[in-house]
Amino acid sequence: MKKQHLIVLGVAVVVALVLLSFSTDRMRAWQGAYLQASKPALEAGAALSGRMDKLQKGLKTLDELETENAVLVAQNNELRAASQLLGNLEEENKRLRDALGYRERSSFRLLPAEIIGRDSSSWWSTAKINRGFAGDVSNGRPVLTADGLVGRTTTVAKDISLVLLLTDENSRVAARIEGTNEQGILTGRRVQSDAPPELVLNFLSRDANLQPGTKVFTAGVSGGVFPAGIPLGVVKEFRTRELDGEATIEPAADFSNLEDVFVVLDTP
Amino acid sequence: MIRATVLFVLIYLALIAQEYLPALGFLHGAHLLIVPVLFCCGALAFSFPAMIGLAVFTGLLSDLAYLSAIDDHVEIGLGWSILFYVFAGTVLHTLRSLFPAARWEVHCLSSGAVTLFLTSIQYSMVCLRRGSFYLDTAVFWHIAGPALLAIFIAPPVWFIFNLLPAASTSPEPRGSGGLRK
Repeated sequence: MKKQHLIVLGVAVVVALVLLSFSTDRMRAWQGAYLQASKPALEAGAALSGRMDKLQKGLKTLDELETENAVLVAQNNELRAASQLLGNLEEENKRLRDALGYRERSSFRLLPAEIIGRDSSSWWSTAKINRGFAGDVSNGRPVLTADGLVGRTTTVAKDISLVLLLTDENSRVAARIEGTNEQGILTGRRVQSDAPPELVLNFLSRDANLQPGTKVFTAGVSGGVFPAGIPLGVVKEFRTRELDGEATIEPAADFSNLEDVFVVLDTP
Repeated sequence: MIRATVLFVLIYLALIAQEYLPALGFLHGAHLLIVPVLFCCGALAFSFPAMIGLAVFTGLLSDLAYLSAIDDHVEIGLGWSILFYVFAGTVLHTLRSLFPAARWEVHCLSSGAVTLFLTSIQYSMVCLRRGSFYLDTAVFWHIAGPALLAIFIAPPVWFIFNLLPAASTSPEPRGSGGLRK
């Protein structure tokens, strides 16, 4: 190898070592700058991808459209009935709270956002949203859909943020099981093989005996990132291990079709 | 120079485009990785300093795109991919002198090998950081699948690369009559 080649090689290694010596915050700041600079390209990619999806979905037969319409009409009727019932319950709830002198519970401030990119690597599950600190988003804010929790922000730039999805093995959420005192830690899997993805709920008691279909919500531990009561998913399978119980959870949010999400800005 | 500039731009665009390519169900959800295939074009065609420049650029962008910084720890820090690409590029650059010309077959095999090297070393580092190692069918295909796909897409990528203005920044490999398609 020529001397000139060795010098060039040495310079590259030094550059890499200098970058490796950066603190996590500095690495995050560099990533934020990269994401911000790439935002126009990411948005263009997302728009193109969305158009392709719509085109694909638009190519339906008349029979499929009729079936879909019938399902939507049935859902619409069901939702109207549920809405009517909930309206009555809300009124009753308010009346009873007033009678007991409860303070109005402060609600979340939600910021709508769009997914403009998904991580294509195999070992991490992240997504990019088109909101950043210009919209009051900060690091560690919960991100959800109407169906349930999606993840939390990890790197935040001016108009774009990176979201660590629930399906990532590094994601840890304190969870509680509907109708029981059971609590556990919900994580993703290292490698998600096929859609729909699965989550794992660890540290349950051995005699929890959870039935398939039981709902799982965020526990909202003190000082934690996630407020209590956000749907996480439903139990798919429960098994006992030597020391504890473990459940496979089907996520509430549709991770294979993430488009519109909300960032929780303020938690009560 | 034109070829080098175009390749730098293509690598950036490929990194963005990869985000919109769906996971492949028949390969257990593995993804198509275009960036290593493009990098191999440069590693086989450019001079050593230009190849190192390309490796630093590709590694830095890859790390910035995939950096997983959670709370106060990072799994594969900024800079690791530069070392991986520099290593892979140096090996390819040394190997190419063994062949009479930079042929598409060499690029095809190199793309598969470099992709396999990158996915396997990333997985090893992730396992090391997370404190456990396992290898099942899904993990195997997430490592080997992108390499297999790289072998399939490499010939058209090499063909298109060679259509670019031929003002290569590289002195030709020993005994080469030029880049052959």
